[in-house]
Amino acid sequence: MISRWKRAARGVAFVLSAVALAAPATADEGSRGRELYGFCRQCHMDNGAGNPLYLAPNIAGLPEWYVARQLDKFHSGIRGTNFDDVAGMRMRPVGIWLEKESDRKAVAAYVASLPIVEPAPTLVGGDPERGKALYAPCSACHGPDAKGMEALGAPALDHQDDWYLLTQLEHFKSGIRGSKPQDVQGAQMRPMAMLLADEQAMKDVIAYIMTLGGAPKTAKE
Amino acid sequence: MIERFLPVASTYAGDIDFVFDLIFWTVGFWFLLAQGVFFWLLVRFRKRDGVRAQYVTGELKSEKRFITIPHALVLVCDVFIVFFAIRVWYDVKQHLPEAQQTVRVVAQQWAWSFVQPGPDGRLDTADDIKTVDELHVQVGTTYHFQLVSRDVVHSFSVPVFRLKQDVIPGRVITGWFEPTRTGTFDIQCAEICGIGHGYMPGRIVIETAEQHAAWMASHSNREIAAASGPAAGGR
Ligand code: HEC
Ligand code: HEC
Ligand SMILES: [Cu+2]
Repeated sequence: MISRWKRAARGVAFVLSAVALAAPATADEGSRGRELYGFCRQCHMDNGAGNPLYLAPNIAGLPEWYVARQLDKFHSGIRGTNFDDVAGMRMRPVGIWLEKESDRKAVAAYVASLPIVEPAPTLVGGDPERGKALYAPCSACHGPDAKGMEALGAPALDHQDDWYLLTQLEHFKSGIRGSKPQDVQGAQMRPMAMLLADEQAMKDVIAYIMTLGGAPKTAKE
Repeated sequence: MIERFLPVASTYAGDIDFVFDLIFWTVGFWFLLAQGVFFWLLVRFRKRDGVRAQYVTGELKSEKRFITIPHALVLVCDVFIVFFAIRVWYDVKQHLPEAQQTVRVVAQQWAWSFVQPGPDGRLDTADDIKTVDELHVQVGTTYHFQLVSRDVVHSFSVPVFRLKQDVIPGRVITGWFEPTRTGTFDIQCAEICGIGHGYMPGRIVIETAEQHAAWMASHSNREIAAASGPAAGGR
């Protein structure tokens, strides 16, 4: 009888120690971010270049603060909850899934650490010359070379997919993005998108932005 | 039985629960009985000294009875269940009572959105109220819903209504419900629809007539304000 109890106790001790070993001991940030990125890969691809089929943009090397903030917005429903935001609603479950702020930060750091991927142009008919003039007001926030400015909350645009820039400008203009009362940065960007009279103007300014890419950009600007 | 865990909030939820209970008790009774016989046989014919095991082929009429009689009983129970189930099926899915309100339910990867008629009471007009995640309805009102999908197959599931209906892209599927109690309850997607399937969090808010009128008013005001206010600009 005694020996049976002993054996049982040893068994319990074994199971407990196995559980303790399996639980991650103070996982470091980098590996947590990489682990979480396993989910993002499904749509943004291994290298973060995105996939237009899934409407998923190029996020490789986007500034960490910007990625973290967008994930916060998807998490809280500030972004991706407009009736007409088909693309945003695809990204939104990811925001809900990333329940912990620390996880959103960790995966943002990982995304920022991905090497930049130069997007291939997909739009035709944009005139970079006309676009240069239209870009003048944008440079106040996004910077003259579209590398973004953290202080103003404006992200880098220079390595982004042109199709994605176009839909975002249209979304800002029509209020699909940035019209929620809590969306402070969106509210700043919306009137700027309204400066662009029509789709042609948007294509022009995007054509100009596309000429700014190429120079490597550091991950955290 | 199940209603102890999940509120009943539609006129037909009780009928569905009735069929559920009927199946549960009918099947449960036979399950326990069959297990009982099985264990009784195990004990009754357990190993004994000097008794050799027999090889039973099950070809004798007296042996086949062990199959045919339960088989017939199962059929009788089936007919019994189907008799009650058909009436409920007809009520929930086949017949369509006159609608007092019609809402459109839009499924997509990965959210539920809803279109409600504005003050004019008609869909597809300028004053439609469009919401994401939240469907506001009035208690005691017969609703028709029109299910549409923007991409793949989803399933519109409202557990408190005991309602579940597939949403098929390219088709408009019409059904009905009548909420019987106020409160806020879940809407789920019950058909695997991609990586975000588990994150299609919808809510149905069932309100009294006054609450619903107030919601309609505040919501349509906000929509109109958003569409024409200076901050919104070109829309
Ligand atoms: C189911 C596909 C899918 C998955 C999985 C996914 N995304 Fe996205 N993501 C999208 C789509 C679609 C958009 C574009 C949303 C829009 O157009 O508003 C997007 C947009 C974004 C943006 C905004 C980019 C910008 O420039 O504003 C960020 C940041 C982002 N995703 C990061 C992530 C991260 C990090 C993960 C993993 C934790 C992830 N995504 C997983 C589909 C996905
Ligand atoms: C007042 C500062 C400001 C100006 C001027 C401005 N933007 Fe922005 N822009 C922002 C901010 C802030 C965001 C980020 C919004 C957010 O966090 O959701 C943004 C976001 C964007 C995005 C979305 C990027 C992405 O990855 O999703 C695009 C595209 C964009 N701006 C283009 C432009 C263009 C083109 C102009 C000039 C017509 C312009 N912006 C002028 C502040 C500005
Ligand atoms: Cu679904």
